[in-house]
Amino acid sequence: MIYVENLRKEFKKVVKEPGLKGSIKSFFKPKNEIITAVDDISFHVPKGEILGFIGPNGAGKSTVIKMLTGILTPTSGKCEIGGQIPYKNRKNYVKEIGVVFGQRTQLWWDLALRETYTVLKEIYEVDDEQYKKRMAFLNEVLELDSFITSPVRTLSLGQRMRADIAASLLHSPKVLFLDEPTIGLDVVVKDNIRNAIKAINEEQQTTVILTTHDLQDVENLCDRIVMIDKGNKVFDGGIGELKSKYGQQRELKFVPTDFKAAESLDYKREFNLTDDDIIIENDGHIISVTFNSDKVSVEKMLSYTLSVTHVNDINVSDADIEEIIKDIYKSGVSPSA
Amino acid sequence: MKLLKKTHRMFKLHRIFIKQDLKRLMEYKIDFLTGAVGMLLAQAINLFFLSIIFSQIPSLDGYTFEQIIFIYGFSLLPKAIDHLFFDNLWSIGYFIIRKGDFDKYLTRPVSTLFAVTVEKFQVDAFGELVVGIAFLCVSIPKVNLDVNLINILLFITAVFFATFIFTGIKLITSSIAFWTKRSGHITHMFYMVNDFAKYPTTIYNRVLSFIITFIIPFAFTAFFPASYFLGNGNALFNIGGTAVMAIVLMAVGIFVWNKGVSSYESAGS
Amino acid sequence: MRKILRIYKPFTHAGFLLAAQYRVNFIFFVFGDIIRCFISYFLWHAVFTSGGNNTFMGFSEVDMTVYIFISFLTGIVAYSDGSYIVGEEIRDGNIAMRLIKPIRFDLAFLFQELGERTVTAMIIFVPMMAGVEIYKFVVTGAVGFNIWCFLLYLVSLILSYLINFYFNVCYGYSAFVLKNLWGSNLLKECIVNFLSGGIVPLAFMPAGLGFVLNLLPFASLTYIPVMIYLGMYDVPTILMSLGLQVFWLVFFIFLQRIIWNACVRRMSVQGG
Repeated sequence: MIYVENLRKEFKKVVKEPGLKGSIKSFFKPKNEIITAVDDISFHVPKGEILGFIGPNGAGKSTVIKMLTGILTPTSGKCEIGGQIPYKNRKNYVKEIGVVFGQRTQLWWDLALRETYTVLKEIYEVDDEQYKKRMAFLNEVLELDSFITSPVRTLSLGQRMRADIAASLLHSPKVLFLDEPTIGLDVVVKDNIRNAIKAINEEQQTTVILTTHDLQDVENLCDRIVMIDKGNKVFDGGIGELKSKYGQQRELKFVPTDFKAAESLDYKREFNLTDDDIIIENDGHIISVTFNSDKVSVEKMLSYTLSVTHVNDINVSDADIEEIIKDIYKSGVSPSA
Repeated sequence: MKLLKKTHRMFKLHRIFIKQDLKRLMEYKIDFLTGAVGMLLAQAINLFFLSIIFSQIPSLDGYTFEQIIFIYGFSLLPKAIDHLFFDNLWSIGYFIIRKGDFDKYLTRPVSTLFAVTVEKFQVDAFGELVVGIAFLCVSIPKVNLDVNLINILLFITAVFFATFIFTGIKLITSSIAFWTKRSGHITHMFYMVNDFAKYPTTIYNRVLSFIITFIIPFAFTAFFPASYFLGNGNALFNIGGTAVMAIVLMAVGIFVWNKGVSSYESAGS
Repeated sequence: MRKILRIYKPFTHAGFLLAAQYRVNFIFFVFGDIIRCFISYFLWHAVFTSGGNNTFMGFSEVDMTVYIFISFLTGIVAYSDGSYIVGEEIRDGNIAMRLIKPIRFDLAFLFQELGERTVTAMIIFVPMMAGVEIYKFVVTGAVGFNIWCFLLYLVSLILSYLINFYFNVCYGYSAFVLKNLWGSNLLKECIVNFLSGGIVPLAFMPAGLGFVLNLLPFASLTYIPVMIYLGMYDVPTILMSLGLQVFWLVFFIFLQRIIWNACVRRMSVQGG
């Protein structure tokens, strides 16, 4: 369905010197600096998949989405979606996709929500019967009924997001792009939105690409994730794969009865570990040790700890996906191309 | 056939948007009414200003009070029509591009220029339109104007093309924002020149006359076509010139716009 | 007084930086507006040529030209955003936040705007003044610059700005009643521009109307300073006019306080 190959986007940035003199100088002889937002990204998404697109702020997620939706033209590389190239024959292409930018709305601010849909119906040339059917479905999954007659400016953030998603789906697109669809929403609303996305995906095998910072989104929704950092792909695969690849991390947490004794614990020397394999945090009450279970087994860690200090409480847990990703962001894993 | 269908669809969309905008207007009735009164008053004050001048002199550079009113009234028509349909171009230069809001037009299955302009139907323009028509109605009986079929057709043609001189200039200057993010102030600067067209170009010095005739050709939006109807000049230059200028400006405008869209760089990360 | 300056100086500084940042936009903008002055200039030039008289209701062509450009300059330097700022604060509900800050609402805006106006004045005051004086010299062949008129003009200009600021703040409170201020601001600007002599000198108005308009606060905004600069007023008239300006300034300061106190009462009772 979606093929992306060696996609690259550079931006020219005019470097301005300060002061009036600088402005005049840059007016006549602009100095440009080239910024590479997306360096070299390739991936492929089959029909009906939900792909999570993650990465730290400024990684180039939005730029990729904008290239895939035809808003930006790539500097080089290829992307093809449903047999079409987004930035060529844009008008034809956008009929096949739906786009939601979580931080912006495409709804008409001053009008009742329903009006936006009647206008979009005409823009996308949806016929009456299809429109009725579609609205009924969207109503069911997104529960628009209670606020469809209210002016858009009076909607809550969660209602607005539901309304925006519905707006992007009116013309039954084959691919749906969601840029941070759960940003700023509370837990319950987030959950509603996730269920709706799932339902939409199942109904017509709509391919969904979403970017997010909320890893719950990823765990609950995505069949696969592509992680990018500094314009490059650093991971591509299922969640299980991510966990098994980077998930040897375990976390040992305990509350020592005797702090002095606990401070004499020296895991590094005992097990001959490097800084990469172990992180110790001590907040004066709980000590937490994150370690690589490939290097040292959980059993050995436990018995060494208990041999040195008595504890009030102790517990070992799997590192959750959030921890893993934080780790990858922090250490900046080399591209796994 | 395909073209016909396309045009039909464009008109249909336009109608729908106008309907939506009128609904929006109803939400802000008082605001609209006070704005419209303001626009009317501004024109009334201008009329008062002209009447003060003509209370002291019989004619201005050979033009009578009524003739000046005719030119003035004519100048308001294309301005109002452009204002009515293409007002959203101002927002392009002021904030749409700067805030990255242009993205949404690129995800619509219609041309970007159409998507932008159709979105706003600027009803304030009715103030100018009403005053313009009123000025014409008052002055026409007193300026020896032949009301015949040919003149009526020429009049409509002139107003039509004059409108696109306004639109073309706005289009070119707004498109600059695709590269600079912001160009409202540039549009403002050029747009202000249109006021020159309300009076006979003969009152200005030669450099200025040349500029408003050939460089920023606002003289063709009012003075040249209007003075043809007052019996000066010839149709080929006065009205043909309006058409040529409109076509050239729109062609350049659309070209610059398309160039701009393809080098549009969105905002944020 | 010193305490006030210390508290509000940062606002002036911020306004100054803000305006300096947008100076290029501002220059383009003013350039567009100066075009209008030239239209008026050419129009009046044609009027004087067509009329065959040396004066038009007591104004010579030089007087008229100076009037056009100096009234424009006065309008730009004494411009105030007060009604927009207050209107926006009310619309988005931020005005309630003003109650919890230990500073005076009006003074904070005033000092910020003073910073902005300083930048404006720095950019256009000297070039326009110089332009007008050079024009006068070229046309009349004599140096017509009168330092006393100029200094009194500056005093009157500052009063004009302050009146304009407080008038606009008072006007902005109408946002409590109206949903959107766009239309009413347009109407206001149109009326004020006319009544303050921004379009034609008030001397051109019919006698009775002219007399009333001279007393209204709007004359204090543009007409009085420009007439002082032109040297059209004798000493008693100047003193009376400045007195009138002071009166209107005090009037609007008090009006502003009254409305503000009423708003505070309303907000603390109804919660905004």
